[in-house]
Amino acid sequence: MERNPPIKVLAPAAAIPKISRRALLGGFAVVGASLALGGCSNAKGFAASAIPNGELGRQLNVYSWGDYEDPDNISDFQDSTGVRVQLDSFGSNEELIAKLAATRGTSGYDVVVPTGLYIPQMVANGLLQPLDHSLLPNMANLDSTYTNQVWDPGNKHSIPKAWGTTGYVYDTTVIKDELTSWQDFMTAAEGPASGKTAVLEDSWEVVAIYLGAKDMDMNSTDPAALDAAEKYLVETLAPSIRAFNSNVVTSGIPQGTFALMQAFNGDARQGMLAAEDPERWKFVFPTPTANLWMDNWALATGAQHPDAAYAFINHMMNAEVALREVEYIGYHTGIKDLKEAALANEMELPDLVFPPQEVLDRLTAAVLNDGQERRVQILNRMQAKAGA
Amino acid sequence: MSKFSRKDVGAAALSFPSWAYLVFFFIIPVGLVLWYSFGYKPDLFTAHSNSILSFDRYIEALDPTFLSTFINTLQIAGLGTLICLLIGIPFAYWMAVKVPVKWRGLLVALVLVPFWTNFLVRTLGWQIMLAPEGFVSDALQNLGVIGGPIEILYTRAAVQLGVVYNYLPLMILPLFVSLDRAGASLREASRDLGGNRWRTMFHITLPLAAPGIISGCLLVFIPLMGDYITASVLGGAQGNMVGQLVANQFNSAQNWALGSAMAVMLMVFILLTVAIVGAIYLIIRAILRFNRRVLIEEPAS
Repeated sequence: MERNPPIKVLAPAAAIPKISRRALLGGFAVVGASLALGGCSNAKGFAASAIPNGELGRQLNVYSWGDYEDPDNISDFQDSTGVRVQLDSFGSNEELIAKLAATRGTSGYDVVVPTGLYIPQMVANGLLQPLDHSLLPNMANLDSTYTNQVWDPGNKHSIPKAWGTTGYVYDTTVIKDELTSWQDFMTAAEGPASGKTAVLEDSWEVVAIYLGAKDMDMNSTDPAALDAAEKYLVETLAPSIRAFNSNVVTSGIPQGTFALMQAFNGDARQGMLAAEDPERWKFVFPTPTANLWMDNWALATGAQHPDAAYAFINHMMNAEVALREVEYIGYHTGIKDLKEAALANEMELPDLVFPPQEVLDRLTAAVLNDGQERRVQILNRMQAKAGA
Repeated sequence: MSKFSRKDVGAAALSFPSWAYLVFFFIIPVGLVLWYSFGYKPDLFTAHSNSILSFDRYIEALDPTFLSTFINTLQIAGLGTLICLLIGIPFAYWMAVKVPVKWRGLLVALVLVPFWTNFLVRTLGWQIMLAPEGFVSDALQNLGVIGGPIEILYTRAAVQLGVVYNYLPLMILPLFVSLDRAGASLREASRDLGGNRWRTMFHITLPLAAPGIISGCLLVFIPLMGDYITASVLGGAQGNMVGQLVANQFNSAQNWALGSAMAVMLMVFILLTVAIVGAIYLIIRAILRFNRRVLIEEPAS
């Protein structure tokens, strides 16, 4: 017994006779092993990506936003290639980034769909692979308006998937006035739509309502502008808001739950298509400006099915596939002459998908900047005020 | 190593499933949550770091948003537990006492039927039922019961309704078991001694069912405090629950440190609430017992 040095442990006196040396060391081993296992994920470096070898394989894992691909297009791809597509969805870019960053290339996802403004940082952190354009011949179908964007010059890491803008829908039986601007949105929310208004659960978009109404830069980092926005949004607008939710518009329109909803154009279209009386609802591309965003196909670092991934992205750029896609999701996918094809195909509510040129000219692309933390704080305070 | 008897080794081996379960699925996860709560979020691309330890996340978590949401949650959970109890006691009493024995098994099965469906789907079902232009609203308006469309979706009332619906079976089952065990003979004895129905109820049946009432309340109250699905599906700006704040920190904001700190605070607050309510119960019980005590005096010789 003398060979073993005594072990010191903090325990109730009554428990001491029951604690044996082996039990204690065993317990330490269990705790130590679990910490060591947890520690593995913190190691630097990424798992190696598989190199395309011309064989499609049998599996493809796609990580996208919810209900963002036409199921018919997915099953077409599965039938023609024999590749099984596993779709998984995320609710925010932060969620996507965190999953890719935390797993360091072992997430299992091949194709991911980040929004443009997040791409430079994702590339800088090694989350995305450079694309081999020779494996994407359908890139020739892309409209050059939507390629070569500031956040990914030369489309080295991304391919346009869908773009859209933010506006709002209102119930014309509740709000009789014609609404056109963000100022009108605020007036209606305080007036006839008070208690029946929903806004997106997105700090940038909510703060942009005020900045847009006052004709200020929507990407402003000016503390005075953000203070003024907070004062109005928390004290005046928040008590009129019934829900902070980015998904209510698709069910909210057919169910008649809200009279005024901030929404993305394609989602609003889906809601109006599901309603019995779509003419009762009106979508506004508000003046003076609104967010112009673009989601993109990209290849995750560590992807194990690169051939299937390239084939899939290429498939989605096929003109016929793109037409079905735009009719289903309600967002322009960046393919040439898509508007003409959709109109020829008698697509429903095309005005919501293809805004007029004067609208396109006035939109602003959101930027990720130093004002972000402040915006999140403003949204949190609005939610606290609205819930009180 | 002669200290080890065969008996100790055998006991440790036999109890392996239970202690391993506790260690791996309770002690280590709670320990990790506690450990993470002292860390911070370094940047957008890293969910967590523990390289600097501090209590800062707790200070962040204790901001007015958390506290007001916590108070909302406490009200919803407290009222929800009370409503479940008020519905559950008569129902369980009826099941345990009034219904013929051969039907009881079927009734218990029927109480459990909602659990066959996924929690989220059941809650989404209420979204359709409560829609202002849904079939329930239309039917009630056509019958002239209400003047306009029902307007409770995305309010606190909808969350309250949803939680009562989702947690009621968890209240009924322990109540049923305890009322069933309370025994017909004691109730009969009470009647023989002149107690009327209400007196029997409050002096015999309910005190004997107290363990069931307590476990039912805990089974409903504790998961309800951490629930976020019901509130996210049915509650709007007003029906916010603290579970959503924790889930947001982990899912959307990806701030594991702040999420962990909030989770630890939530656990502490729940423990405190249960302890306070428990203490009040013990005090009331002691007072009642003191008042009801029967003094048996020595017969005068």
